[in-house]
Amino acid sequence: MVPIVTAFRLPKQGYSLDECDDAFAYEVNCLRFAIADGATESAFSDRWAQSLVKAYITEPPFGMPPAEDAMMLWMLPLQHEWRQSIDWASLPWYCQEKAENGAFATFLALEFSAHGTVWEKIVSRTLQGEELKWNAFAVGDSNLFQVREDQLIATFPVARSDEFSSRPILLASNENHNYSALRDIKSASGGVKPGDQFFLATDALAKWFLERHEAGEKPWQQLLALKSEEEFAALSERLRKQEGVRNDDMTLVVIRWEG
Amino acid sequence: MPYSAEISRANPSVFMFLIDQSGSMVEPIAGSENKRKCDSVADAINRLLHNLIIKCARGDGVRNFYEVCVIGYGATVAPAFSGPLAGRDLVPLSEVASSPARIEERIRKVDDGSGGVIEQKVKFPIWFEPVAKGITPMGTALNMACKILREWVQRHMASYPPIVINISDGEATDSGPVPQAQELTSLATEDGNVLLLNCHISSQPVQPIIFPESDADLPDEFAKTLFSISSVLPASMRELARAEGFNLGPEARGFAFNADLVELIRFLDIGTRGSNLR
Repeated sequence: MVPIVTAFRLPKQGYSLDECDDAFAYEVNCLRFAIADGATESAFSDRWAQSLVKAYITEPPFGMPPAEDAMMLWMLPLQHEWRQSIDWASLPWYCQEKAENGAFATFLALEFSAHGTVWEKIVSRTLQGEELKWNAFAVGDSNLFQVREDQLIATFPVARSDEFSSRPILLASNENHNYSALRDIKSASGGVKPGDQFFLATDALAKWFLERHEAGEKPWQQLLALKSEEEFAALSERLRKQEGVRNDDMTLVVIRWEG
Repeated sequence: MPYSAEISRANPSVFMFLIDQSGSMVEPIAGSENKRKCDSVADAINRLLHNLIIKCARGDGVRNFYEVCVIGYGATVAPAFSGPLAGRDLVPLSEVASSPARIEERIRKVDDGSGGVIEQKVKFPIWFEPVAKGITPMGTALNMACKILREWVQRHMASYPPIVINISDGEATDSGPVPQAQELTSLATEDGNVLLLNCHISSQPVQPIIFPESDADLPDEFAKTLFSISSVLPASMRELARAEGFNLGPEARGFAFNADLVELIRFLDIGTRGSNLR
């Protein structure tokens, strides 16, 4: 099996891509994927979101899901780097105060691996015919969907569209603000069969996805049809204008496992 | 009239403060022997502007999501910024941020993370000074607000409607405030009517009352009058207030009696905010 990956990122309408606080990264060789949604109301959250997804691809935290301590250790150098990247002396008082509070972002990480133990391999292959296993962990409301044979079979960490709020738990670049976030790391796992599709989406798009599914539709079909940045932009504009989707940064990563 | 327009640089909104600067504002505020009402209000306005600026600040500066106006009413009725913005009415937020009259350093006590308290120096910008002189021409102030905003709403029909916050210790000495307030709140964008919120600061030691649905528990006629001209909060604002822990009913009005002003509007939110983002 090989994965075919497409990924898109779009700023809010009226904003430039430089002002987009969403980030994604993936590495097909090690089968790791991540998205992050920087909080619009914090300073330099775009760098923070970028830093989290890149670090996950190159050197993920220990454990799946990582324990509180492992996450804290993993973020320390990223937090240091974030602080170092800011030219504090040249910031006016308001930007300084904003940045001292830190940047904030949601984070969703997904990894595929061969089944771990011999027992797992035997059981899962003979019982389910699943060749790979996926593991994911998340802080906040960036979401993962798994589709098999045109049916939604997994949604993580948000299961229903009404669970999205404007105040998700976020990972902070200021370690003093991370206590509640680290206690709230959620995780999930499952099997992969040839033909399975995975979608990683930040909140506005993920909420739309769940709403349409709850209404009996198959929103993934529209996402699977996307071929280019332009098509993604056109779809986003339509969703914002006609389907009441919030004007927010949007990120989508689609992973198709071809048999 | 859904009160759901997105507040953005292309579609900014307005915060307008009307501040009672009458002679009675030298009286102490309820529950405090030595803090004058006018000092307390000046502090609150400066903190509100500060919070609004921080809320709209990003790494690269302050985004002009709002225009801000402060009108004082007492011996005169006039725009009340001091310093470089003196005499200006509607000012874009980024300009407010870069033009305080001065920046004081104050000491703030903060949690040290292990149960203790440490003192931290913080910058405290001042845009607005305490004044307490003359009568209470609240009606005239509402008229001025109406004049400024009538033109603004015509130019910003797609925007979230302006929010006017009137802070007073009570009785208007002109023909106001009821007809003038009605005229002001009849102004509207396509998204809703101008919202009028009233804060009554009293010398009476009465428990704070926030967002009441009726005037039954209000202690005097002045409070009841201010309640009567306060807008019913739109559903979206009620939700935000509930999320901040305020308990309020469907007919809750934008009225507060003896409440902390900064607390009162800290829920006026823009965009995503983490539950651990404070």
